[in-house]
Amino acid sequence: MAEKKRLKDLTLWEKMYVPEVVKGLKSTMKQMFQPRFTMEYPEVKFEPVGSYRGRPVLVMEAGGEERCVACGLCSRVCPALAIEVQAGETDREKERYPEKFEINMLRCIFCGLCEEVCPEEAIVMSKDYELTFSNREDAIYGKDKLLKPITELQDRIDFLRSNK
Amino acid sequence: MGKLTIDGREVEFRQGQTIIEAATDSGIDIPHFCWHPSLSVSGNCRVCLVEIEKMPKLAIACATVAAEGMVVHTKSDKALSARNAVMEFILINHPLDCPICDEAGECKLQDYAYNHSTGEGRFTEEKQHKDKRVELGPYVMFDAERCISCSRCIRFCDEVAQETELTFVKRGDRVTITTFPGKQLDNPYSLNVTDICPVGALTNRDFRFKSRVWDMSSTQSVCSGCSRGCNIDIWVRKNEILRLTPRHNEQVNSYWMCDHGRLDTFKEVNSESRIIAPMLRRDGTLMQANWSEAVAHITSEFKAFSSDEIGVIGSAHATLEDNYLLAKFAKEILKTKNVAMPSHIKHGTADKILITEDKSPNALGAKLMGITSENFAVIMHAIETGKIKALYVMEEDLVALDHKFEAILAKLDFLVVHSVVKNATTALANVVLPAASYAEKNGTWVNINGMAQRIRPAVATQELDRSLDGMSLSRLDKFGTNFDRWGQVNKIDARPSWSFITMLFNSFGHKLKFKMAEEVFHDVAKHVKEFHGLDYDVMGNQGAKISLVAEKV
Amino acid sequence: MEMWFAFVVALLKVIIIAHVVLITVSYLVYFERKISAWAQNRIGPNRVGPAGLLQPFADVLKLLLKEDIVPTNANKKIHTLAPILALFVAMGTFAVIPIGPSITLFGIVNPFVVADVNIGILYVLALTSIGVYAITFAGWSSGSKYSLIGGVRSSAQMISYEISMGFSIAGVLLFAGSLSPQMIVESQSGLMWNALLQPIGFITFVVAAFAETNRLPFDLPEAEPELVGGFHTEYSSMKFAGFFLAEYANMIIASSLIVTLYLGGWQVPFLEKLGLSEGVNAAIQVGSFFVKMGVLLFFFIWVRWSLPRFRYDQLMDLGWKVMFPLSLLNVVWAAVLAMWIK
Repeated sequence: MAEKKRLKDLTLWEKMYVPEVVKGLKSTMKQMFQPRFTMEYPEVKFEPVGSYRGRPVLVMEAGGEERCVACGLCSRVCPALAIEVQAGETDREKERYPEKFEINMLRCIFCGLCEEVCPEEAIVMSKDYELTFSNREDAIYGKDKLLKPITELQDRIDFLRSNK
Repeated sequence: MGKLTIDGREVEFRQGQTIIEAATDSGIDIPHFCWHPSLSVSGNCRVCLVEIEKMPKLAIACATVAAEGMVVHTKSDKALSARNAVMEFILINHPLDCPICDEAGECKLQDYAYNHSTGEGRFTEEKQHKDKRVELGPYVMFDAERCISCSRCIRFCDEVAQETELTFVKRGDRVTITTFPGKQLDNPYSLNVTDICPVGALTNRDFRFKSRVWDMSSTQSVCSGCSRGCNIDIWVRKNEILRLTPRHNEQVNSYWMCDHGRLDTFKEVNSESRIIAPMLRRDGTLMQANWSEAVAHITSEFKAFSSDEIGVIGSAHATLEDNYLLAKFAKEILKTKNVAMPSHIKHGTADKILITEDKSPNALGAKLMGITSENFAVIMHAIETGKIKALYVMEEDLVALDHKFEAILAKLDFLVVHSVVKNATTALANVVLPAASYAEKNGTWVNINGMAQRIRPAVATQELDRSLDGMSLSRLDKFGTNFDRWGQVNKIDARPSWSFITMLFNSFGHKLKFKMAEEVFHDVAKHVKEFHGLDYDVMGNQGAKISLVAEKV
Repeated sequence: MEMWFAFVVALLKVIIIAHVVLITVSYLVYFERKISAWAQNRIGPNRVGPAGLLQPFADVLKLLLKEDIVPTNANKKIHTLAPILALFVAMGTFAVIPIGPSITLFGIVNPFVVADVNIGILYVLALTSIGVYAITFAGWSSGSKYSLIGGVRSSAQMISYEISMGFSIAGVLLFAGSLSPQMIVESQSGLMWNALLQPIGFITFVVAAFAETNRLPFDLPEAEPELVGGFHTEYSSMKFAGFFLAEYANMIIASSLIVTLYLGGWQVPFLEKLGLSEGVNAAIQVGSFFVKMGVLLFFFIWVRWSLPRFRYDQLMDLGWKVMFPLSLLNVVWAAVLAMWIK
């Protein structure tokens, strides 16, 4: 096997290694006196921006109705098979609505494909990143937990529209 | 036989065939909405426009008769631009309803918009608004906005169902479909219009919004509604049958099936009153037991009767394999000649299209296995007079056939019943065995014309595993695991009758090693001359005609 | 009577040193985490106790409560022996490290060392060599390929670096003329620190010390990205804690050895010129030992969070082609210097 040439040969100074080590040590030492970035989480909370992908939620219109028409595309596109939708019929103008809409938050990988594929802008990624459950059943979020008033989701919707 | 050239390929045609027919026969797909192989040509959708050399204008492939030496281009620039234009026209007034439309996923318009359209329309005006929820009949819902006026449904009613019920009214973009005054879309075949509708304008009210098509698995099977044996697809999601659709088989049912078969036959499989485990009568009440207890109990009880005291009732609803082993069991183990099955013929109920008088799917098959209906009355009489004291009933609800049988069956000392659901006959039984329904087992049915056709399991039972037993899989079945919530739902502990009878054989000391219905069928093919040379592969998905001539010789 | 008294004093020393070491180890872990946090602009543990000071105890409690898992394919006896051996070696070495001058207490001369052995350095070298066995045993007995590779790498690495370590020490011994650590310390009075007299030997010894303690950039035996956890992959609970403690105890030993051999031990240059009382002098000297050791410990941690890991072939290259010749060179230099000075 032919010996591979380096892109750039090391100089003697670099080959001595010790000076480079000192350089590295200097760099870390400098960092020790830089300001810290840590947020002390439960006391200080991270306020995500519009582009943040937290847990997916369903948009609830001002009238308290969901936008979702249960087309099932989110469920189809979901790579983790986390979403389950059962459609039903209503008297509303959009005759189809989700009788059942469940996301298994243990499966969800927060990829946002559901949001991207949604033709009705009905499922969006919220800023909610605090997800805890004590058993598997609790991790399955139904419509009661998924529906969120549109006013709370305006940031994300604006972000989505500006990046179409 | 003449020859024409389509897209540079030489294609044979029969005299009088249109271009689209010749193309379809040779596996060339020409886009079409209004043309249907089993309906007359209407030629109003224009999407099958093709370029034919030496013709001044483009012609529609569905109405142009093929001629010797014709050179047809379906993908030339002219043909493509015409097709794009037609698609653009059709889409002008078609609403963007796909998210709420049941047809999405199996919609011709969706497919063609994807494959044969530029993807852009220049129409910026308001679309036509029409009625979106019209009940055309008891089973069919009509969405006028989605209709592309192909007239397939009108032609179907006129030509196939032979009941003129539908028509166009109004002109131009206001054109819509309606029923004639005082009439409804209410013929016995009305739901076929939802299958042939190329868009989501006509939908099945029974299936509406139940599931997206891509979430279901489809299994090729045969309708159990009558002895026609229409070929069907069983559509299943979460181990529950959601709809049946006809499957093309020119020798049996063409593209059609009746509403009764489509709507009424599968409800039993999903039913709440399914028997979920074997039951034994102890101290007067039926108690749940396991399979080996049931086998042991039946074996010891039957040994107490002489062979003349035992009767066996087979069924035209059960498969060939079930009846074959039942007849073998009666002959070789019970040594009784009291074998029969009830007839399900209802005189005067047949029509000239598909529906037959015999309401069971396998009467001919059961007969060929040696179980006839002639003896049935004799056996019932023998029970009444007390000559027959023990009865083995397979997949028949005798009480439902005739209410006076209730009193007769009550006289029996011992009654074993295989049944799919709880009914009046199982209420009288000493042993009730949960039988796998036609959607839960492999088997064979022979229709009225001697077509042996396969049924396949579409719904998993506790002993059937979707992926291991080669059942058809939906996307969720394929990519999910057995631990998902949709993986283990609605599974009941039912077994095919032939498999239980095999257990009985072994319990009586007669070794049988059948593990699959296919092995039973091989035995049938070996011993019954009508079935010589047949196996599951030969029958395939279009069935095979059995040699009925041999029977007469 | 005197025998009894000597025995009690020795026992006391053992107990004190053992506790000092164990507590230092715990807080070393704490500082390791703190310093890594600082180097990465983080805060580090700050939840358990004020400024996270009780974190070590929480860690120990956690480890104690964990399930002790022994793999099915493990050789159970050796699997159990390995962490005990590792900890024993680490603690045992401390016996000969002098942390202060001799003081007279109750009429008896007490050296600030558990056992003032005249061949202390040999003892240290012997024990550290046994330390290799602990790791090799752990790697082999776990019955896991990761562990085994970790163990094999470790033994190869330790053997390679022990050579340059030994030669570096040889330079020191030439100067001190004794194998007793106490004598070596005393030989470096004033500013006659070996680190200044033989800088090459100092550097090779420090690098070898890093390699011997399996610290980055030489932590190949437990290289996480390639070997999961190396030799201790299959250890949990207190057995894992044994290795963990041993690793940090080894750091302390390495630091104190460097201090003893090269940085004048407990000596403070020109302290005697201040004319303080013997007791105060001793206190300052013991203190200076710990300060020197602390600085070195910080250096260990600092290096870990600055340098990336060596590749295995680079490690061997460095050990045999660079360190070994350099340490030989140092022996020659030390011999010449010793002749010239004396």
